[in-house]
Amino acid sequence: MTIIKTRAEMSSEFKNVKYILTSSMRTRLLLAIYNDSKNLDDLRKELKKPSATILHGLKELETENFVKKSHKYYELTSNGYLLTTNMIKLIENWYAINKSRTFWDNHDISDIPEELIKNIYLLKNVAYISSTTSDLSNAYNRYKQLISNARELKMVLPIYSENHFKLLIKLLKGKQLKSLELIISKKILHSIKRNNYFNKGLLKNEKVKLTVVDKNLKVFLTCSNKFMALSLFFKDNHYDDSQILIGNDDKALDWASSLYKQLEGINNDK
Amino acid sequence: MNFQNEINNDIKFLAQSEIRLKILDELAQTPDNIRGLVKRTEITYSSVSSNLIKLENHNHIQKIDDRYYINPITEIYYTTLREFQKSVELINDFDTFWTKHNIDQLSVESIKRLTDLKDSRLVETTIIDIYKTHNTTKQQLLESKRVKAIFPFLHPEHPKIIESILKNGGNIELIIPQSIYKAILFNINTKIRKNAIKKGKIKIYPVRNDLEIYLTICEESMSLGLFKNDGSFDQNRILVCDSEKSHEWAEDLFETIKRDVIT
Repeated sequence: MTIIKTRAEMSSEFKNVKYILTSSMRTRLLLAIYNDSKNLDDLRKELKKPSATILHGLKELETENFVKKSHKYYELTSNGYLLTTNMIKLIENWYAINKSRTFWDNHDISDIPEELIKNIYLLKNVAYISSTTSDLSNAYNRYKQLISNARELKMVLPIYSENHFKLLIKLLKGKQLKSLELIISKKILHSIKRNNYFNKGLLKNEKVKLTVVDKNLKVFLTCSNKFMALSLFFKDNHYDDSQILIGNDDKALDWASSLYKQLEGINNDK
Repeated sequence: MNFQNEINNDIKFLAQSEIRLKILDELAQTPDNIRGLVKRTEITYSSVSSNLIKLENHNHIQKIDDRYYINPITEIYYTTLREFQKSVELINDFDTFWTKHNIDQLSVESIKRLTDLKDSRLVETTIIDIYKTHNTTKQQLLESKRVKAIFPFLHPEHPKIIESILKNGGNIELIIPQSIYKAILFNINTKIRKNAIKKGKIKIYPVRNDLEIYLTICEESMSLGLFKNDGSFDQNRILVCDSEKSHEWAEDLFETIKRDVIT
């Protein structure tokens, strides 16, 4: 394969992305008429650009079959609508990443499947909670508060933590928490079994449904029908209990539920 | 969120150079030194070198010893950028399917997950097989025991196809316009129909408004058909896909439309 050929292939592979994303005028025009068709006057006022610039951009988008003109109003074609919706998804994805930038940049995300990274926009409304020097337990306390009111919980628990186990057993003894689905690794299972109190209170509790996976997971995920909480490991393999993402909208719950399902079936993926 | 200001400079910086994207693509797979990248990308040494410096200056990669590593957050950025690129490819690859067609009934979420249809094939009628699209879905439906479908019109064969699915012990959920409800239901053998209704093997959700989408979800495949902008159903092309992802995509769309219909 020659260098020229490779470049031609590359060029074709990324050509459309480059064409769309590198022109502010084109992207702004697509976004401006995403919800409603607009005439030149509307667009000139909204984009604060001269008519000639706007018309030039519209003409280019018309040529590419993303925009059409109907009775002096410009609107997206079906292709334009599909494209712009996916462009908004890209913007939302980057927005969601940047909003919790410290969280994503500092942790090992290797156990989060690519499918979920592609749809990280679903986490755009989550809150990033971190502990501070004046309150080292801030993240854990927020988490504790959250799960204390849950009726049903699903957890991927990748660590042996007495604090968490004691809290879960206390909740299971109470009336509020009706069921707990738990995914743990063989290693954690083995450690829990060696402690009678935890063994009886968790593993032999009829409210608990256990899934044991071979892999030592690097995701601490908790979901209920009202919230999701996610914390991760540092890249040096140590668990980070000082940073947590908490979400309570439907989209975040969908994302967390998909992650839970994928990790639940991780033994079958081998 | 103000979308208009959100195609930020980082996105533009990465998108404007195919060479940078290619380098990131390689580094996302495995870290490497310059010579390794030159070999893998088949791009000249000087281009690789200058773009590595730019990527490093923008904090997208880091050099440890003589090897370059993609930064974790850039890997996430790149994954989402690549996903956008795949959605654009899918729009272009099936241009005749989408162009001048009504996509109003595709939910925003289903459009955002358009790449779930990436393994689709476009089935089109030909002059020697003008019923190819109908026969393709008919075959899929007859081979399935669990069917969900949105039929926006009455095809004379639909009642018999449904009857056959039920006769073979299958289950079917249908979203259809109210106007064809009786025509479909009462053209199914009475005994089979009554038995299926009694056992909950057939569930029909009639819709007062027009449906603008054709969707079948069978055990092994899904198919999607659209209306043209002039209001007529395009009988000449359907998108067919056998992947698990496409199945989930179609199920989600079906449930979204069902929810809208019921509420």
